[in-house]
Amino acid sequence: MVEFNLPANSKIKGGTTHKAAAGAKNVRDFKVYRYDPDSGENPRVDTYEVDMDECGPMVLDALIKIKNEIDPTVTFRRSCREGICGSCAMNIDGTNTLACTKACDEVKGDVKIYPLPHLEVVKDLVGDLTNFYAQYASIKPWLVAQTPAPPDGERLQSEAERKEIDGLYECILCACCSTACPSYWWNSDRYLGPAVLLQAYRWLVDSRDEDQGERLDNLEDPFRLYRCHTIMNCTNTCPKGLNPAKAIAEIKKMMVARQV
Amino acid sequence: MTEGSLRTPLAKVRGLGSAKNGTHHFWLQRLTALALVPLTIWFAFSVASLATADFPTVLAWMRSPLSAVLMLSFLLAGFWHMKLGLQVVIEDYVHGEWRKITCLILNNLISIFLALTATLAVLKMLLGG
Amino acid sequence: MSQAYEIVDHVYDVVVVGAGGSGLRATMGAAQAGLKTACISKVFPTRSHTVAAQGGIAASLGNMGADDWRWHMYDTVKGADWLGDQDAIEYMCREAPRAVLELEHMGLPFSRTEEGKIYQRAFGGMTTNYGEGTALRTCAAADRTGHAILHTLYQQSLRYDTDFFIEYFAMDLLMDEDGVCRGVMTWNLTDGTIHRFRAQTVVLATGGYGRTYFSCTSAHTCTGDGNAMMLRAGLPLQDMEFVQFHPTGIYGAGCLITEGVRGEGGFLVNSEGERFMERYAPSAKDLASRDVVSRSMTIEIREGRGIGPNKDHILLHLDHLDPAIIEERLPGIAESARIFAGVDVTKEAIPVLPTVHYNMGGIQTNYHGEVVNLKDGDPDSIVPGLMAVGEAACVSVHGANRLGSNSLIDLVVFGRAAGLRMADVVTPGAAQPDLPKSMDDAVMARFDKMRHASGGTSTAAIRDKMQRTMQNNCAVFRTGEVLEEGQKLIDDVWAMMPDIGVSDRSLIWNSDLVESLELDNLVRQAVVTMHAAANRKESRGGHAREDYPDRDDENWMKHTLTWFGDDGKVAIDYRPVHSYTLTDDVQYFPPKARVY
Repeated sequence: MVEFNLPANSKIKGGTTHKAAAGAKNVRDFKVYRYDPDSGENPRVDTYEVDMDECGPMVLDALIKIKNEIDPTVTFRRSCREGICGSCAMNIDGTNTLACTKACDEVKGDVKIYPLPHLEVVKDLVGDLTNFYAQYASIKPWLVAQTPAPPDGERLQSEAERKEIDGLYECILCACCSTACPSYWWNSDRYLGPAVLLQAYRWLVDSRDEDQGERLDNLEDPFRLYRCHTIMNCTNTCPKGLNPAKAIAEIKKMMVARQV
Repeated sequence: MTEGSLRTPLAKVRGLGSAKNGTHHFWLQRLTALALVPLTIWFAFSVASLATADFPTVLAWMRSPLSAVLMLSFLLAGFWHMKLGLQVVIEDYVHGEWRKITCLILNNLISIFLALTATLAVLKMLLGG
Repeated sequence: MSQAYEIVDHVYDVVVVGAGGSGLRATMGAAQAGLKTACISKVFPTRSHTVAAQGGIAASLGNMGADDWRWHMYDTVKGADWLGDQDAIEYMCREAPRAVLELEHMGLPFSRTEEGKIYQRAFGGMTTNYGEGTALRTCAAADRTGHAILHTLYQQSLRYDTDFFIEYFAMDLLMDEDGVCRGVMTWNLTDGTIHRFRAQTVVLATGGYGRTYFSCTSAHTCTGDGNAMMLRAGLPLQDMEFVQFHPTGIYGAGCLITEGVRGEGGFLVNSEGERFMERYAPSAKDLASRDVVSRSMTIEIREGRGIGPNKDHILLHLDHLDPAIIEERLPGIAESARIFAGVDVTKEAIPVLPTVHYNMGGIQTNYHGEVVNLKDGDPDSIVPGLMAVGEAACVSVHGANRLGSNSLIDLVVFGRAAGLRMADVVTPGAAQPDLPKSMDDAVMARFDKMRHASGGTSTAAIRDKMQRTMQNNCAVFRTGEVLEEGQKLIDDVWAMMPDIGVSDRSLIWNSDLVESLELDNLVRQAVVTMHAAANRKESRGGHAREDYPDRDDENWMKHTLTWFGDDGKVAIDYRPVHSYTLTDDVQYFPPKARVY
């Protein structure tokens, strides 16, 4: 059965509190999920008091400040810090989002930071995305065409056809949506999840692609596609404002259209 | 996924491949849902209007061909929809392979049994005796 | 060493270090050539910094008006302030259209013209007919071109038989006694194991080192690891004094606002509401090359015409553009400006400031991507087994200043060139010599020392000192005095390194140790950059000396080579600039005054 309770070794134990430097006036508490793979001990939540007068506006700024000045062992992925690389996806204040574009001001009360839900945790805020990346590879996310491309020119595509893939190709593979989806939590071994289905749809509607039927065949499956129960967490949480739920609905429409 | 398996992540994801079905289930679930909207309204309205009626009145109502057809439609669509819906719930939440298959079989058998029983009841009333 | 590290061994024909645009393109080329190829990256490929490139990729397709690769070449030579090697520039500009069409054929979602062709926009320094008109040359996928390129290349890589080693941190090159590169030593962050890759050819595609500065558009991961591996291997780096400041980083946050904004009609104004670029570059105006615009903005601020209470930034207007155009062509900019500057670009201007963006300097290579070294008087002597591509490399096509949208074309053209070269010179499956244990030990000793470093200064503290020193003493304008002080200060930062303290001793995802190793890489590059800047006594492209305001072709038409010893001493020598082209299809463009 689906486990609704955390396994014993995942139950969160109390953590330590790191006080802000004396004299700090504008202090906020950051509660950060910690898991140390070397000790194998149960995860804990450490509290860091951060002087917001000396800190940048985003949650990532606060995490970096914590790592630089309070506790260098705090571990998280980060890279571009401008919301385009998708590294710093995590669960902040109960919502999956990018730490670099999430302002601390948007959070009321303590800032609670956890890894993306339902991933195996490698360390602290770093989750294992191996399965997610493999699912992405499984949908053949590349152009398939039998007609040779013109030797000295591009494959033509009208402006209207190009517009079809707006709102799809912008995905940064941060996995916020997929790990926000309860259906993906229970069945991520077989359900492709919203991010990957959004990408599947991106190739289904690219006017240059000639593999629509094969692509649909591969999705024609009670688990790969039809585990989507339109819960809509994906669309609500997407930090780039994309709409995976709509893309999935469009795939289902295509599936029906080719049968009736 | 099997613990300790050395298969590649891609091999695990591809698994047994596409089942090449799912749309039929999806389509029927929507179709039965659609049919159940007017049928449920009719059923609720009928039950309400017959609430204080005695048995012969209800029997007479049931013996009208229109009522019987609508009642049969309501019951069959309802059980069918139930079977489809429960199947999704089982697939979502019941994981061990044997337990899942057992649940799916039971779901099928119980749904068919209930549908047959209800159909027989309607037919019995319709054809009298 | 505190413990013996177990080393997992791998043997490949080709190992590419880095999975950004150039690394992926080189990986693909090697795989297509039937070579057993591995690609190693410290981040998942689509997290590489190519993803953040916005405006576009230059190629003279001529989809939106007449164009010629020779015009592109002239613009690049002029943009480079004649420090670029014209044979390499010719190669890049000539191959550019083919490389871009290849990307399109792979499925890259370029924006389109009415005829359904690839959309092209204006960019700084890109002209027609050798400087006469404005060229529409920069091929764009809205303002997310880098994202589109990187994702397309990653998608392609999934089609080929290539092994990816993701979240592996490359520590050092394995160089044998004859100066031949035999492989690279890496650390798998996920499980803490050490992996040694032997290869016939190692391709460094490790990107730039923008994080030596306090304020940069570069990602946190832009630490120039490959450059530093070169220095540790006793090999020099070229033209390190040339650091590009992008005119429009968001004030405060430092995030990039593409030059494409100005290409689509945006412009800069000072506190008097004046479009000041008309004064500095009467003909190209806001679309002059980046060094020119950054200097002009700095002068405006310095002369008291900056914006804001501290008069310390400039405004970029695009609020006069049609919101539909912004929506279609610059949606990412609108998003960034809203998040990081709180600005609605359809109504207000974006506060911007010149921000460190790109390193023209790096690993000296020929136009095949092979690393060259000054050896026994031969400036083009090839380092066997070693190649470099992308921002890490200095081919040099960008010379003293890179034109916007030339970096993306650099990535794909030279990534592709490296693949073609490897197809020619590497034999699939050829035997490789065993490597002596001493080679591993040297690398692991350094790693182990850093892992157990227990000094009194934190990694973050040293990094902060380095970044502030570079920001203050090696900025848009430089003088002898400031650079001299900078040399002393940055040498002091290097002297702090033995006192570094690392808190995390783990081997699994020890990001404290990663940052410390990266800091070691950064400081080395910061030191050579500062010393090279102090050494070059002229103004050229991105290197603007107030005490030597003019270009001096007589004495300084040459590439700087800098070596860095573990004693912290910098050695300097030179390589000649190639004053010839690759073919007779185009003549060498002799130096002349650089006016926009």
